Amino acid sequence: MTQSIDTSSYSAITEAIQAEAQRVLGDGTVTAVIGYAAARRKGSAQPIVISQADDAARLIFTPACVNNLAVYLTKAKKEIPRNGRIGIVVKGCDLKALVGLMGESQLKRENLYLIGIPCSGVLASTIQPDTELTADTLASKCRECDAHQPTGCDFVPPQLPVAPELEKKYQAEISRLEALTPAERWAYWKEQFAKCIKCYACRQVCPFCFCEQCLCDRNKPQMVETTPRPAGNTAWHIVRAMHLAGRCAGCAECERVCPMDIPLNLLNRKMAKELKELFDYEAGFEVNDKGPLTMFTEKDDQSFIK
Amino acid sequence: MQKYISQQNFTALLDALIKQGTRVVAPKLNAGTVLYEPLAAAGEMVADQLPRRSGKEAFFPLCEEIMSYEKTGQQVALTDIDPARFPETVLIGVRPCDAAAIPVLDAVFSWDYKDEFFLERRRKTTVVGLACTTADDACFCTAVGISPAETRGSDLFLSPLVGGGYRCESYSDKGEALINSHSALFAEPSGAEALPLAEPQTEKFDLKKVKAWLDEHFEDPAWDSIATRCVGCGACAFVCPACHCFDIVDEGTEKKGKRRKSWDACGFWKFTHHASGHNPRDQQPKRYRNRIMHKFKYYDDKFGQTLCTGCGRCIRLCPVGIDIAAIVEEISKKEV
Repeated sequence: MTQSIDTSSYSAITEAIQAEAQRVLGDGTVTAVIGYAAARRKGSAQPIVISQADDAARLIFTPACVNNLAVYLTKAKKEIPRNGRIGIVVKGCDLKALVGLMGESQLKRENLYLIGIPCSGVLASTIQPDTELTADTLASKCRECDAHQPTGCDFVPPQLPVAPELEKKYQAEISRLEALTPAERWAYWKEQFAKCIKCYACRQVCPFCFCEQCLCDRNKPQMVETTPRPAGNTAWHIVRAMHLAGRCAGCAECERVCPMDIPLNLLNRKMAKELKELFDYEAGFEVNDKGPLTMFTEKDDQSFIK
Repeated sequence: MQKYISQQNFTALLDALIKQGTRVVAPKLNAGTVLYEPLAAAGEMVADQLPRRSGKEAFFPLCEEIMSYEKTGQQVALTDIDPARFPETVLIGVRPCDAAAIPVLDAVFSWDYKDEFFLERRRKTTVVGLACTTADDACFCTAVGISPAETRGSDLFLSPLVGGGYRCESYSDKGEALINSHSALFAEPSGAEALPLAEPQTEKFDLKKVKAWLDEHFEDPAWDSIATRCVGCGACAFVCPACHCFDIVDEGTEKKGKRRKSWDACGFWKFTHHASGHNPRDQQPKRYRNRIMHKFKYYDDKFGQTLCTGCGRCIRLCPVGIDIAAIVEEISKKEV
């Protein structure tokens, strides 16, 4: 029988974030709050930006609140007003992205009001949003979450996250791919990248893809073929994985939104594993203005120089 | 012409078509995702799932070469693609929402400019529709005026029967020709009942009222509340059976390369970015507004139809949960 995940605390969490959002909007602490609201389909949720205390009652937290809302605070998204302090509802995984963005001088802590969620997990896919949260429907990232309880927020509801010990799917899949021969691994990724349609959903939801003009959108000179064909698709996903190495903290939004089911987070988790092994570095836990790939120290591993 | 085909003969029909060299495109599992793809054998067809992308790519591929060039000294050799080489195709198992989008595309691709790539594939393709027996709450074909048994766009239409097999009805010469080419596999219609049709739950939209509001509200605060959340990807347009914008790029080196046509999307920032640096759609709500305007106003102004068949793919796959059915419903309730 499938193990169900206890989300009974989510309704109390919803009430707590509504009350807090109403308070901080009402007393002028923040000018806006970015959170989640219910949408038309049963069980569905979508991001919302509210600026009136009365709208705080629209905020919810449910297993369908999958989005990493940090994306709305990057310079690539100019639609959210930037006057004054902004409140944002964050799960622990989303908070890691904000920490990274602060390290990269994209955001200032004092301009944010962080409403943290003690999160037991969210759905892998919201194609059917009214699905019950179980070990089978849980997002893979939640199975190996190390940030159920966000730290350093301005407000966190008192409920405690419940997180059963589950098999770590990414770790298992990375080990499986590492055990393949290079030719077999190449065949696997070739098949996956061939599915890419270059809709750039992966880039558009990524908090770290904040370049105002992506290198891969340029045509003079054209760095990467823009048409959805195997060579350009492969180049695109590898460029992106390299650019995220040491920055991506594993929110897995790229993988969740891919309409073609390409397991993109595997690339990012593999890079994170390398960073951990080579530099003992993990992204997203503290604000660092120098990541391991943006500076040199004499202690750095140089074994690759032959 | 109405006929019956048993499940066994249906399989035999697909295998016979494949064997004779016809390209048979049908819903098929491809590295974990169901897509309309050429079959190598009838058994590969997945009849019970709506493919992730629509059937439009049978005529309007995701990416296609339209020309190649090669420079030798001062000479440039240009080589055209010969559409006569496109294969005879049977597109089978097409959902009514996908099939109904085909005439919508016909109107665009044969309007002021005749797109020979699209039209030649269209001429060579027989479309076999399949009635829909399941729907989820993202489906809204009935809300935009078509039904799970819509035959528009199909040359031959299959209705699954209780107890197996299909009732087949032809709606064009191509459909009749397909039956006649393998007539031994078809029988006279049986008395068997058709499986109950899917019942999408969304209420029918008042599309005239929606258009009347759009006619007057190019500028409106509603666009911000609808689409500030839009992150600007092309997922909605790329999975849509009716979206048809494309880009043309030259790829290769100065000496040698190819000119390619590939899908484009109005959600992209780059879509309206001018060479001068100016972008008339400088914020995401203006880009999303174009999606709604094109589907429910501009296309209607030009061709008298709606550019949406209610397949619900954009709803299921939007990274940020934008729900076009909810938006159109909301617009239909506004004062004009």
